[in-house]
This record gives sequence, C-alpha cells and structure tokens, in this order.
Amino acid sequence: MISKLLTRLKRAAPSLTGQQQSRLDHIKPKISTSSSARLATDRIVVVDVETSGLSLADDHLIAIGAIGIHGGRIALADSFDLLLRQQVASDKANILVHGIGGTAQRNGLPPEEALLAFLEFLDGAPLLAFHSAFDETMLRKACKKFLGFDFRHAWADLACLLPELFPQHAKKCHALDDWLARFAIHNDERHNALADAIATAQLGLMALRGAQMKGLESFTALQDMEKAQRWLSAARY
Amino acid sequence: MSAALIQHLPFFTKHAPFDRMQREHLLWMLQRLQLAYYAKGEVIASPKQGAANRFFVIKQGLVRGSRLAKVPQDAVLELHEGECFPVGALLAHRAVTSEYRADEDAFCFELSAPHFLELIELSVVFKDFCTRRIAALFEQSTQAMQAQLSQTSSEQQPLSSTLASIIRSAPVTCLPDTTIRCALQTMQDAHLGSMIVADAAKRPLGIFTLRDLLQRVTLAGLSLELPISGVMSSQPVSLPPTALAYEAAMVMAREGFRHVLVTEADGTLRGIVSERDLFSLQRVGLRQLSTSLRQAGSVAELIALSRDIRELTLNMMAQGVAAEQITQLISTLNDLLSSRIIELECMNAGLQQPGSCQTEICWLALGSEGRLEQTFYTDQDNGIIFSVAQGETADTMRQRLLPLARRINEALDRCGFPLCKGNIMASNPQWCLSREEWQKTFSNWIDHGSPEDLLNASIFFDFRSLYGNATFAAALRTWLNKKVSTTPRFLHQMAANALRNRPPLGLVRDFVVDQQHTLDIKLNGTTPFVDAARILGLASGSSATGTVQRLRDIAKAQHNNNVAEIEGWIEAFHFLQTLRLLHQYECSRRGDDMNNQINPGRLNDLNRRILKEAFRQSRKMQSRLAMEYNL
Repeated sequence: MISKLLTRLKRAAPSLTGQQQSRLDHIKPKISTSSSARLATDRIVVVDVETSGLSLADDHLIAIGAIGIHGGRIALADSFDLLLRQQVASDKANILVHGIGGTAQRNGLPPEEALLAFLEFLDGAPLLAFHSAFDETMLRKACKKFLGFDFRHAWADLACLLPELFPQHAKKCHALDDWLARFAIHNDERHNALADAIATAQLGLMALRGAQMKGLESFTALQDMEKAQRWLSAARY
Repeated sequence: MSAALIQHLPFFTKHAPFDRMQREHLLWMLQRLQLAYYAKGEVIASPKQGAANRFFVIKQGLVRGSRLAKVPQDAVLELHEGECFPVGALLAHRAVTSEYRADEDAFCFELSAPHFLELIELSVVFKDFCTRRIAALFEQSTQAMQAQLSQTSSEQQPLSSTLASIIRSAPVTCLPDTTIRCALQTMQDAHLGSMIVADAAKRPLGIFTLRDLLQRVTLAGLSLELPISGVMSSQPVSLPPTALAYEAAMVMAREGFRHVLVTEADGTLRGIVSERDLFSLQRVGLRQLSTSLRQAGSVAELIALSRDIRELTLNMMAQGVAAEQITQLISTLNDLLSSRIIELECMNAGLQQPGSCQTEICWLALGSEGRLEQTFYTDQDNGIIFSVAQGETADTMRQRLLPLARRINEALDRCGFPLCKGNIMASNPQWCLSREEWQKTFSNWIDHGSPEDLLNASIFFDFRSLYGNATFAAALRTWLNKKVSTTPRFLHQMAANALRNRPPLGLVRDFVVDQQHTLDIKLNGTTPFVDAARILGLASGSSATGTVQRLRDIAKAQHNNNVAEIEGWIEAFHFLQTLRLLHQYECSRRGDDMNNQINPGRLNDLNRRILKEAFRQSRKMQSRLAMEYNL
C-alpha cells in the first residue's frame, strides 16, 4: 500500500534536468516565510499573475509579471514578465480577459524554466500583491507541480493593507480597479501581468509611504499589520 | 530589454524633450529611471538638501515650486504631468533655489544626478533642452506650428488641399425670381463679384458675375427689373467638398470659368471657390506689392493693396515665418502704404512744390507702429512734428496742417487701420506740434509723472519718423534721452507703473484667466516686456524703439553681464508675439474679428508649457526692473 503510494508520488514528481535542479538548489535557501527586509532601504517585489480562471483548485498559471521596489522607489529596469507554455490553451472567455492568445500560450517558456527564472528574479525579496492569497496559491501550485518545490515565502496583501492605511477610502474601494481609480493610477493594459504589477506597485509605493509614516519600518511589521486587520475584519462580521 | 521599460515609452513619447530623443537614448534613460511616490504636501526637493541629486519628470499629479522669497504670489510655479525639474541646479551642481512640494499625490520618474549628466553628454536633444530651455522648446513649437499651418497654407501644397478647406465663408445666394437690380445691390453691399442663383432648398441653378452685367444686361439694354434667372449662366459647374483644389483649377483652366461651385452630395450649395482663392498667393509677390504701393495713384488703389498686404502676411504666417520677421514685414509694408497715402494727400492738399511735405513736417509713427511690432490688427497711433516757417506761428501752421492730417487719418482708416479710440492721431491738435511744443509736452510728462503722463509716455516715447523730415524725430530723440537721464525720478515712476501689470501666473491654477477662461496675450503677455524694455532702454541711452532691439542694446550696454538672461526674455517675447499672431490668424481664418484673447486651456501641451515659461521670464524681467529701481 505504502509502496503503491510512493510510486504514484514518484510518477507525479517533475523531471528537472541536472542544471535546473542545481539552479533550484541554489535559490532554495533564499526562500523563506520570514523576511528581514527594511522598508526604507531594501528590495520588495510586487507580483501579479494571469491564470486560466479564478478557481484556485482547477485553474493554472499562464503569466507572471513582477517589478522591484528599492527603498521606496520602483526601478523600471528591475522587472519580470514571462509566459508559461501551456499544453492546452485556455478557453476563449478566459483569453478575452488577459488577451494572451492560444498561440502565445503555446509559445511561452517551459513552465520549469519560467518558474526558475521567477525565483531567481525574486532573489529572496519579500512579495507584495493585491489579493496575495490568489497569486500565492497559483505560484505554489505551479512550483509544486513543475519544480517539486513547496514555495512558501513572505507575502503581504495590499488588499488588506490599503484599507488600513487609507481608511478614508476603505468603504468605497474593494477591488484593485477601485483603488487604481481612487488614486488616478492609469493602466492602459489591465490584465497584462506586468502592467498590473506596475500599477499594483504604485499602490505599493503609497502603502509603503503610509506605513512608514505610521512608524512601521520592517516587512514583518507590515505583515503584522495585515494580520491584525484580518483578525479585526473577521471579528467585525 | 525589460518589458517594463517598453510600457513606459508611450508616456515619454508624449512629452518634450523626450518625444524628440533618439529611441536608444530614451531606453538608456528608462533603464536607469526609478518611479517614486510623493504624498500630498510632501517635499520632493528643497534648497536645504544640498546639491540637487535627482532629475524629476512628473508622471502624474501636481508639483508646486516656491521660491523662499518675500512676495508669495511672485514666487510660485506649478508643474504638471510631463514637466521636469530641476535643471539649472543639476547642471551647476548646486542646491535647488525653490522648494518643490507635491501639491496633490504625485508620482515622479527620477534619474540620479550622475545619470542625468551622462544623458546630457549622450543625447544632443536632451542637452539642447536642458541648456537652452525656452529657446529649444520654442523652436520645437515653431516647427509644430509650421507643420500644422503648412497643411492649410495654399502655397506649400497649393493644389492638394480639399475644396472644403479652401471655402472661406457661407455663399450669398438669391432666388431665381429676384430682380437684377436687387441682386446687384446685394453684390454691391457684400463686395461680391458674383452671385449664385439657387432654389429654396439651396440647390444652385446658375451664376451671375459682374462680367455678365456688361454683356448681357447693359449692352443688351435689359431692364434691371427683370428676374436674374434670365441673365444668369445656368447649370454651373460644381464639385464635391472632397474634391481637390487641383481639380477645380483644371475645370477653370479647361472651361475658362473663374468660379467653381462646391456642392454636397444632395445638391445643396456648400460654397464657391474662385480663381483668386486658388492662386492668390502666387499672384501677389512681396516685390510686386511694394512696387505697387509706391506707385499707387489713388487711395482707392491703396485700399485694394492693403488687402494684399494682409493676405501676403497671413500667408507668410502660414509658412511659418518667424514672428519677428512677420511683424517687421507688416510694419514695413504698412510704412510704404502710409507714406504713399501721406504723399498723395499732400499732393491733393496743394502742397505740390517739390518736397514741401518732406522738409516742413515729420510724420511720426507711435506705439506698436513706432516699435515696428505691428500685428495683423493694429489701430493707428500717429503725430506730426512741424517746423514753423518764416512769418508763421505754430498755431497758423497747425490750422493749415490739421485738415490734411484728418484726411490722412481717414484714408488710413479705409485701408484697415481703424481710427484711434484715444484720439492719438495727427489730426488731433494736441499731437500736431512744433519741435518746441513737443519738447514742452514731453518735459511736462517727465517732470510731473501723473498716471496719464506715464501712459502717454509709454505710447509717445516709441516714436519713429515714418515720412517727411526725419531729422526732426532724431533731434527730438536725442533731446529726450538727455532729458530722461537728468530726471531719474521719471524712470522710477515708469518702472513702478509697469510693475503693476503682473504676468498672469496663478497661485491656484496655471494661469490667471477671466470668466471666459481667456487671458489678454497683448496686455498680460507682450506689454510687460515692451514696458520693461522701454524703461531699461531709455535708461541705457538706447535710441532704438523696437523691444528686441532695445533689449539687445541693453545687453550690449551691460557688457555681456546678463546676455543669457536677456536672450531668454527675447525668446519669450518672440513666443508671445507668435502666439498672438497665430491667434489673430486663426480668428481671420474663421472669419471672426481679430482680438488678443487666448484661452490657455485650448493650447497644446507644448505651447501651454512655453507660455508658462514665457510668463516666468516676464516675471524675471520684472524682478530685474524692481531691483534696478528699488521697488
């Protein structure tokens, strides 16, 4: 029975080339759920993913966009934008959302390569996203499937932090688009992973500035604020 | 190449100077850019931070720079999306002189100082922008205006424009049963050479021209009470509005017509295009025009030529000739026209003995005409200096000259120079004076300096001899410069007066505008430059009357001390004049009355930026004036 299970696991395990495996081994030590990043000086990466749908269980990753914030400033050159090659292109309704056509999906990078490149780009920096649970789950699922790696990392969620830092807008702003509109941040290419990441990063700059004005100095403090906010809103209902 | 850089390209290709930079230089810059956020009220750069260490381009939001100066409203500067700062401080490795704050939440692209300096070495366009600022922007704007205007200029692409773009105004028509007399009256009233006969639905049935009048009516001995339909040419040739001027020219050449009708697809009349519309520019050349002006035999001829002057100068504008040249050209042609009018009227007045007008009087051009800065629309400002002949008094001379001056003023009016509302004209006994009387008048103004005296001085002290004995004007100028230099209080008063007219830069928004959202580009724009140049020019002993020449004389007198600063003022003045001419040009194209009211909100981004920069130059010039006179 146990051996049966083991064989199944073995069969499901991804087949990385030796080189890929050594790249993964090299980057693994930097991945950690706790971050020592200082908000005023260190690098934080803002990420946005495009997927075949909104179901955490059934849908899969199509594109990753990310950009680095260094000491409170977005560095334009420090960006990441890759498509993952798909066996089967996602359905038409989904293509209409992100605009990544079937051919482009089939022409993307092999998923192992794309994910390794992302982890290398990340270089251990903590992650910031809007509704980060979604991006985190999608990335974790993909890393598990294609790299056999459990990608557990330090995340903070702007969807949670923004209402806390800008309570005057909290009632009216829920979705990413609400906040972008609120602060007049233009994004001509909504649902392009990188464009969304850049727009999100602009919200990130505002949040980081707001957090620092409240005396927060570290990424951990940011995560603590998020936890408190989650607890409070759970208690409120 | 990072995709994030490509995503920001469209922003930069929308704003000067980045829109003209080579793509590789732009990408080089993007590679090194950071994007920062500044919350409302936050300081972005301050004199207290030491040497400037970043170059900022505003991505979104509003930034306010304030000089830590005494007079608050004089020291504010608003910067909008696409604008950059600081430039001077980075070039000079010094601290900024203004404090820059986010006036609302702002995102700025930032380039570090070393990268900024590297980029200057890399990109000539960027260097030009940073070191020549307003001059470089102005050049770019002029080119843009030329590009825009050349599409409407009939010379550069004479025959490739559509008929729709050539038609000037709505056509005058009459119904087929209108009497010939009635039609002729309408033509007379509207100064038309032809009349279109159309049915009630405005579908053209025929055309009747003045040439038809001779052959078909007068020589045929027809009654003027007959309907026009009997003498018109029926079934006139018509083309659609989308047809090209080329096609109309072909039709005219082939059929020998002078007019082609322009009709919509449903047969209704849109307008009429005449041979003159198509070939107007080619017919009137500058040399030919000036010869005609010199040889014109009557005021009636000159009236016709004055239209050619306007047409020619408007066309020059359309070809992008610079404001300085256009205003000089207008003034030169107007000088010729005025001189010929004076000559003809002197002859009519019986002052035929050779040269009596030339030796006894000097006709003065005042105000903008005196400065050689006339625009398309200028009313007349003039006066006479006469010498008192043996056995005459100033009063008897004046009584003799006033009727003549009146006729000249009226003739000028008919040639498109409206009579001066303030009656500053040679036909006013106050301004038809002997040399001694002028000196007495000027002395009074200089010694008393009442508000009215100062206003008069600002018009009269730009005097220039236009016709007659020029030595009278030269002598008066020499006397005036000496008088002014011995009465320092006068220029001080003039300066205080000039400083009351502040450039319309707003505290709250970009510009101070009136309820119609416009500002007066003459009063608020060029006048502060003209006033300051007059005062500084008089102070430096310059005998020039033109604003630019005065400024150049000042620069010379100061031994290159402020040459760069003064060049900035000159550029700004040229820009404001260009904007004013362009505005008048557009009024005329629309068939509206010409005025000086422009709406900054309707300008394109580039021109709005330069306008702001020009007003800043105006402010600098006023600060200089205030400093010179301790105001």
